[in-house]
Amino acid sequence: MSKYILPAFIFIIILVSFIKKVPVYDNFVKGSKESITLILSIFPYICAVLIAVELFSLSGLNGYLAKIMSPVLTFLGIPDELCELLIIRPLSGNGSLALLEGIYKTHGVDSYVSRCASVIVGASETVFYVGTVYFSTTKVKKLRYAIPISLFACYFGAIMACLICRVM
Amino acid sequence: MNLVFTVMILVSLVMLIIVSPESAFSIMISGASSALKLAFTLIAIYAIWLSVLSLMEGIGLNKAMNKLFRPITKRLFKGESDLALEYITLNFSANLLGMGGAATPLGIKAMESMQDGSEKATDNMILFMVINSTSIQLIPATIIGLRAAAGSNAASDIILPSLLATIISTVTGVILAKLCAKFRKKEKEESKAQMPRAPLFLNIRHRSVRK
Repeated sequence: MSKYILPAFIFIIILVSFIKKVPVYDNFVKGSKESITLILSIFPYICAVLIAVELFSLSGLNGYLAKIMSPVLTFLGIPDELCELLIIRPLSGNGSLALLEGIYKTHGVDSYVSRCASVIVGASETVFYVGTVYFSTTKVKKLRYAIPISLFACYFGAIMACLICRVM
Repeated sequence: MNLVFTVMILVSLVMLIIVSPESAFSIMISGASSALKLAFTLIAIYAIWLSVLSLMEGIGLNKAMNKLFRPITKRLFKGESDLALEYITLNFSANLLGMGGAATPLGIKAMESMQDGSEKATDNMILFMVINSTSIQLIPATIIGLRAAAGSNAASDIILPSLLATIISTVTGVILAKLCAKFRKKEKEESKAQMPRAPLFLNIRHRSVRK
């Protein structure tokens, strides 16, 4: 069902444009023209974040942090195996998907740990990526309380996710 | 961001210098080249979505959607222009449907139209970022796909738990952001009201008390 939504949606928009006699081609080009300028302005930010994330995850720091954090997480009811995932989740989307696949492999897809991991990844976003990219074309330099609150809400969601997975 | 970035890089570099100093540069290059790869894919994705957006604007669909969701967005983002509310509505709809590629350019446009020219993020911008970073996706399609690929018996079993967790994290985020905004506002108002006028105020009061 859901696979039809996207093509149907674009079809309807173009059909309505045609009926309303709006220039479809001109509008399409006007939109795609913006794409390159947008990427040019967000590229430096993506670049900086990805370099930092790559350094962070390949230096082995991730593993150390996970070890330090594991008692705290156990106390909060989050399985040990999810430490690394929780650290990488706000930093990198691809990184967390890779970790997720690893967890599936080692623990089995339908295990409690894997279900927790799936829900945590599904119910959160890459906070730091959003923080840099969304503000990249504005003059804003100080995000004030944006990142602490986003992180807190995500981690609170993660704790709840583990609780929910235990019941459901 | 400055602090996070600096600390992350400094600590990772220290670790690398201890463990394998020769790999530091190649790791940085690989980070930069994955950014480049990402940028190229994003050019393609954004080209399509920005074109769809421009087609939607052509037939006024964005205005219609804004009218539909205005009662909610107007209350959440007080004092924002119609243009900003439009982008916010479109960004939320894209996020709800799990179209990350469409949500990001819309989110950037929403931020642009909300900025007040200062270097500090406004309360509404922060609220917008918090909602975006707690994920408001209805169905986590990517993860269901991954689970199915890994041979799960019930790949879509996580829909309801994910939805619940998402609602909890988003509501927590919104409440906290609103509380922070209110707290800061009060502080500002109090400092504005007290600081310059305090001596004058006190004088008047003393006199009236004596009388």
